[in-house]
Amino acid sequence: MTLFAAISSPINEIVDSLGANDLPYSIPIHPNLVHLTIGLFSIGIAFDFAGAFYPLEKRVFRFLALPVTRTGFHDVGWYNVLACSIITFFTVAAGFYEMLLAVPLPGVKTVLGQGAISTMLWHAVGGVALLLIIVVMTIWRGYQRFVWRKDLGRQVSWIYLACGVLILLLMGIHGSLGAWLASEFGVHITADQLLAAGADLKEALP
Amino acid sequence: MGWPTLGQCVLPDPMLELLPPLNDKNLPWLDVIHPIVVHFVIAMALISVVFDLIGVVTRRQNLFEVSFWNLLVATVAIFVAIIFGQVEAGLANPYGASRDILNIHSTIGWSLAGVLAVLTGWRYVVRQKDPTVLPSGFLVVDGLLAALVFTQVYLGDKLVWVYGLHTVPVVDAIRSGVIS
Repeated sequence: MTLFAAISSPINEIVDSLGANDLPYSIPIHPNLVHLTIGLFSIGIAFDFAGAFYPLEKRVFRFLALPVTRTGFHDVGWYNVLACSIITFFTVAAGFYEMLLAVPLPGVKTVLGQGAISTMLWHAVGGVALLLIIVVMTIWRGYQRFVWRKDLGRQVSWIYLACGVLILLLMGIHGSLGAWLASEFGVHITADQLLAAGADLKEALP
Repeated sequence: MGWPTLGQCVLPDPMLELLPPLNDKNLPWLDVIHPIVVHFVIAMALISVVFDLIGVVTRRQNLFEVSFWNLLVATVAIFVAIIFGQVEAGLANPYGASRDILNIHSTIGWSLAGVLAVLTGWRYVVRQKDPTVLPSGFLVVDGLLAALVFTQVYLGDKLVWVYGLHTVPVVDAIRSGVIS
């Protein structure tokens, strides 16, 4: 324990090039890429649902004189999930970089009773797991589109859609952990870090 | 009273009883909702621009349909984002320069709703005529849309990541009168 405490964190080597938010830039990148990962995946799954239930919706579209095709809906389902797969590699990469530089506020617990380090570890491992899941879902989606269900009107199986819903629930919990790292633990938030350092925000952040 | 005092807002007592209590992030709900709803505005508006570009470059006309639907989702989502944005902005107690940033963010937000609605309407008419063709003028407007979205995201990011509005330490500091 004494030996552990004697070795300082490697962050200290670059501490001079970091701002008050513990990053070399003012706004973290990971939370912005997250918009794309979550938005693309959920809307992709939603449109595959729209495609799957097309026979029920058809009459409504005809009644409203809206030109809508089933393939159009499934195209959104495929391309959005594909784009999500590509972008999420960058989301996870940026997340790991910014987590290595994270300095969470001490003595805080989330509504789940987790402290900073367990929230960060669950969010990190969960992030890699979700990346893997998203990529597997995309490959599965691609096989359905181009091979297994090529000649069928409904381009996705019900199991795929059910998995999509399950993953979205997981993503919701996972995203909440990430949100708490900011809103509770003050990770990479300039004002929170300045307050923790005892600075006067009226001068430090006018 | 059961209502955290925040200095500026003084309401007559009977009205206070009707409002839900606020938590340590000065919210009547667990976490901020606006940043979640904007996932669907940011992601869908930007991917719509990207798919338009790829569609034109690679001549994949079915991508125009994909970007149309994404644009429609962005347009629906921005109104929901504005509703939660206004409520949460009203509870944000901005301080210092974040007051101006919040004002500009609100102004651009409402404008973006108008821009997205007009773009989706225009796109609908174009699609009605021929869904396989995208007028090149639309790509120019796509560029403006992306610029507007990036600006808006940058301002919103500043409110969260620089000024920490609705984060526990900042709300705590505001309530104890350390910042105003």
